[in-house]
Amino acid sequence: MREKMSHIHITLSNVTFGYEKNQKILKDITLSFGENERVGIIGANGAGKSTLLKLLVGLYTDFEGSIRVEEIPVEKKMLSRIREKIGYVFQDSDSQLFMSTVYDDVAFAPRNYGFSEEEVERRVNEALEAVHISYLRDRHTYKLSGGEKKLASIATILSMTPDIILMDEPSVALDPKNRRNLIQILNGFGHLKIIASHDLDFIMDTCSRVILINHGRVIKDGPAGEILTDKELLESNGLELPLRFTGRESLFSS
Amino acid sequence: MNKLENAVYEMNLLEEQAGGCGRLNSLPALFKVIITVWYILLTVSFHKYDIFGLLGMGIYPLVLFLIYEIPFRQCIKRIKIILPFLLLAGIANPLLDKNILGSLGNRQVSGGVVSMATLMLKGLFTVLAGYLLIVSTSIEKICGALRKFHMPSILVTMILLIYRYISLLLKETNRVMQAYALRAPGQKGVGFKAWGSLAGLLLLRSMDRAENVYESMCLRGFDGSRGNSFQYTAEQKAKPADYIWLLLWGTGLFSLRIVPLLTIVGSLLVKG
Repeated sequence: MREKMSHIHITLSNVTFGYEKNQKILKDITLSFGENERVGIIGANGAGKSTLLKLLVGLYTDFEGSIRVEEIPVEKKMLSRIREKIGYVFQDSDSQLFMSTVYDDVAFAPRNYGFSEEEVERRVNEALEAVHISYLRDRHTYKLSGGEKKLASIATILSMTPDIILMDEPSVALDPKNRRNLIQILNGFGHLKIIASHDLDFIMDTCSRVILINHGRVIKDGPAGEILTDKELLESNGLELPLRFTGRESLFSS
Repeated sequence: MNKLENAVYEMNLLEEQAGGCGRLNSLPALFKVIITVWYILLTVSFHKYDIFGLLGMGIYPLVLFLIYEIPFRQCIKRIKIILPFLLLAGIANPLLDKNILGSLGNRQVSGGVVSMATLMLKGLFTVLAGYLLIVSTSIEKICGALRKFHMPSILVTMILLIYRYISLLLKETNRVMQAYALRAPGQKGVGFKAWGSLAGLLLLRSMDRAENVYESMCLRGFDGSRGNSFQYTAEQKAKPADYIWLLLWGTGLFSLRIVPLLTIVGSLLVKG
């Protein structure tokens, strides 16, 4: 993968957004993300985690406030440049894998950006190698297991060598072995990573900074070790301590 | 497997066959599309009474099935749903055209019967030619070939996405039907009271999925407004042998169109 650019950052200033006019999903969000940060966005279902990620890649541009990715404002005419820098991994891998083979799917973005077929092949091979699935290169996507699909989805974004990786609920539908594998792969990347999840153990394993969102507002932003061990804070926002901190006996009590 | 699962399975199997590495698969998609279109044009151009000339066109699918070892029984199984339509296509002809053209043994044959048979054969041959193309060429390669013909990008992209949407819709339908069946024991099919809500749900769900796929495409540089934005697959480089294949079939099919091969062979046999 190519050398990371310096000064990679995303800034959100007073961002407010709603799918409907009267119902705001995100309210007055001000945040910034710096180079090589590993950030977890946590919150209960419907807190606005996925929406926040989608705003960062410009899937919705009718928000109030401003979002800048490496000083480029997130607006319609800039989307192509922004999306070259950001890789977004969907919660449902089937949404991301729509070509017939893994190769064609991973090659989709480089081909769209007009790279030569030799360059496309080089990028595909590197992306597959980065997530250790070179052996799946010519496999049909419908034949992949859940874990393989997730890794193939990540490879589809790596082929554009993004500076920033966004992931929406990456651990959903993964068995423990695939989950562990994914954690190791993610921890091996030097990108700025923003992971939205309510799997707090996964966040604990992959992120150093955590942003807690509830009802569209940032409740707390701080070190993962501090927020993910604050039982009272988590419970008052519809979450629970990561399983590793709950103690085995609590699973069987009451 | 239920019918829907079977349909998804068949689609996946077809795609796997199309992406295989057989000899017919390795031919450039562009050449296969050209020959298929050429064959269909020549086949449908036969006069409605020229059944013997038309029969000669059967050589193309026959040779391809034999040389490239494509399972014929599997083909019939897959196209069987279309066969009744082929039968129905000219079913009224014998009633409309009672003009006697000749006799078969001691039975008189009317123009309507001949034109009905011709119509059915034309249908069968074109379906077989289409089948041979899709069983040996992935949809991405076919779309790539269509772009080479300068078919508008937006149209080709729509063909590709509709193809993808079919399997997505089938999978969603299967999920909904399974969920329904589990909570409606003893019912055969879906009760008509649930039709409306089920169809609506299915539409909304599959639209949601399609929207996600579209978003995913946009995030990876797809822009429908740019003419050449979507490249479907790697370009296939044609070898000299591929050009010979194209030339042979191109001229061979044209010869079959203008030379009544079966009539000549038949008259030679009668003379002999």
